[in-house]
Amino acid sequence: MNLGFKKTTCRVLVVSLLALSFQTAQAGLIGADQAAAGTTSPERAMLLSTLDRTDVAAQLQAAGVDPLAARERVKSMSDQEVQALAQDIQAAPAGGINTWGWVAIVLIAALVWYYAIRK
Amino acid sequence: MQAHAEAPRWARLILLWMAVLALAGCTTLVPQTVALRTDWPAGVPRQVELAQVPFFPQDEYQCGPAALAMAMKFAGASIVPESLVDEVWLPARQGSLQLEMLAAPRRHGLVSLRLAPVYADLLREVAAGHPVVVLQDVGMLLPQWHYAVVNGFDYASGTIYLRSGLQQRQEMPFTYFERTWLAGNYWAMVVTPPDEIPATATESRWLEALLALARGGDREATVLGYRAALARWPESLPAAVGLANQLHARGSLQEAAGVLRSALRKSPNSVILLNNLAQTLSDDGRHTEALAVIRQADDPKSPFAGEVRATRELIEARMR
Repeated sequence: MNLGFKKTTCRVLVVSLLALSFQTAQAGLIGADQAAAGTTSPERAMLLSTLDRTDVAAQLQAAGVDPLAARERVKSMSDQEVQALAQDIQAAPAGGINTWGWVAIVLIAALVWYYAIRK
Repeated sequence: MQAHAEAPRWARLILLWMAVLALAGCTTLVPQTVALRTDWPAGVPRQVELAQVPFFPQDEYQCGPAALAMAMKFAGASIVPESLVDEVWLPARQGSLQLEMLAAPRRHGLVSLRLAPVYADLLREVAAGHPVVVLQDVGMLLPQWHYAVVNGFDYASGTIYLRSGLQQRQEMPFTYFERTWLAGNYWAMVVTPPDEIPATATESRWLEALLALARGGDREATVLGYRAALARWPESLPAAVGLANQLHARGSLQEAAGVLRSALRKSPNSVILLNNLAQTLSDDGRHTEALAVIRQADDPKSPFAGEVRATRELIEARMR
């Protein structure tokens, strides 16, 4: 039971730390984003965006980015961008090379070898 | 006999259909290039080349950092591709994501703007002196994504000029370029200093870009961006609110109040403007004025009624 309590505390701390570090609102002032958007629920938007931000940062880390750098990289994205990235970070085309391309090349080469050369 | 006479007619019909299909194929293969042939965007010169755009040859697969560095250096940042690798390169994907390409310039006080997926917009930006970073699929059979920088074009010969990979001056026909560019849904972006609004930017897109810039934390750059926005779209409410908030955060309370007051002359009933003005005045120690302003914002149906109430309670508490 004690362990379970500790775990929960840890999780709450981690989430609140991340949530706080991603907030940018100023006390008392209504933001320009809300002036543009009109009537979205700001709290809900902020909560979702925070969750997405931690998610994207974690995914960047999983893709080989240094943890500190990952947080910095997510910090300068807009909410819409974070949302988009949270959904398709795996599928989005990355300029450079496509791994599936190599898989397909190897597969085709193997098939050609199997049917044409190896008799 | 009759069958023999029929044969050429059949052949002619097939030939005709093939020609029709080929033409239709052209328009669907490179729809925007075909449109450009008859409909060149107004005000864009026929020939442009931004020779001053710097060139960084890319390291293996690292076309993202290289292309971005060219655009950012041209926009005034002192940067080399190597320092951008840590900001946009994704090791597991051996490449750079578009959203990260957009996010990186903001960390250096520059504004990045994604262009509409329109050939004419790309030409307009180049003509306005902004090199355009594009995403291309340059694979022969399989997709191979690649970032390059468009820095010129020539209508007469139908050529696009690019800084790409190891080539300082790549020449590509309009049609072939469109094929490579279409695969990534015509993805293109420009990088500009915050006081320079791109030629094809709309009010909402520029303001979106500024919100993202503000997230990056460069306050002075954001202030410059909002000033430019307000100069170009004087009626814009979000631009005024954004500028005032940035000035407030910087501590320039009186200037922030001035911006809000002049915006209030244009939209006197804006609850946001009234609330923020009251807050700013109160933070400046002018509580009586602040209370008079927040009383005008008393509208229980407004989505910001909660904020207004909080501001009023704060002012009243400070006056006690």
